[in-house]
Amino acid sequence: MDELDPVIHAQARLRIMAALSTLELDGSISFPRLQELLDMTAGNLSTHLRKLEDASYVDINKTHKGRTPITYLGLSKKGRRAFEDYMDTLRTVLGEQP
Amino acid sequence: MTNNSGRPDATGSSPTDADAPLDPAAMYALLQNQQRSVETQMGAFVPYITLAWGLTWLIGFGALWLIDGLQPTFSLPLAVAVPIFIATILISGGFSAWLGIRSGRGMRGNTASAFTGTVYGITWSIGATALAVFGGALRYQGMTVELANFYYPSAYVLFAGIMYIIAAAIWHAVPSLVAGCWLVIIAVVAPFFGYPGHYLFLALAGGLSFLALSAFGAVQQRRVREAANGGNRG
Repeated sequence: MDELDPVIHAQARLRIMAALSTLELDGSISFPRLQELLDMTAGNLSTHLRKLEDASYVDINKTHKGRTPITYLGLSKKGRRAFEDYMDTLRTVLGEQP
Repeated sequence: MTNNSGRPDATGSSPTDADAPLDPAAMYALLQNQQRSVETQMGAFVPYITLAWGLTWLIGFGALWLIDGLQPTFSLPLAVAVPIFIATILISGGFSAWLGIRSGRGMRGNTASAFTGTVYGITWSIGATALAVFGGALRYQGMTVELANFYYPSAYVLFAGIMYIIAAAIWHAVPSLVAGCWLVIIAVVAPFFGYPGHYLFLALAGGLSFLALSAFGAVQQRRVREAANGGNRG
């Protein structure tokens, strides 16, 4: 219980998960908008998203708006649960009530 | 930087710096600051909207008050005051809609929230139209112009106040609840000031409140931004 999920326990991925956790259930956000909100480079964001995708923590949905491809990202059910568990563990480690 | 496909390009920086975890307390602070930062950025448009409506109330209701409020020293012609009132409302309405759409760019909600947003938006139109028709019916049944001068502003301000309260309930926005309750109060109190004092009351009580709300929102957002800037770059 006290072991922090290594997939989330990295600054960049924690920031991505925290940002995605503010979306409503089943909500999603486009890649450029997430990049803007996080103020991260596209390469950095992509790299960390791939790690989160490999862990099935984010759902990636590719679609088109006219002829422009758009990638939408959101927390998967597993990802939302993992993030909540991570927060609980963090609070426990810090001596707070989860 | 990106071809919009979500994959890195040649300029993408190394993620290694941001890979290292901080101590648990710092990670927890980072998490909370990031959530607040996103919420603040998503709501960055709100102070601009309240500023626009503050000016609309001051200028719009102020123009209506100037028709007879400073008689006999000065009188703003009815043909000038009413278009000013309508124009300020249309400009603020359009500005609010534009900012709202802009803030929601790149976001996709779930079906339930899309339904809620659509119904809420349509309710503004239904209510505004219904109040106009209801006012027309009352006029048809003998309501005088003098009474109509009280009915229309109070009815619309009351309706706007209730819509703000509903918005607060849906989106858990306390400032919207405060603004809504205040609008309901000033709507029902305004007629006690008589004509044309009720227009001045609405201009000041509504306009200055929105300006104060705008300033409060801007200060609060700056505070959150400063807290979030404690190591959020990646």
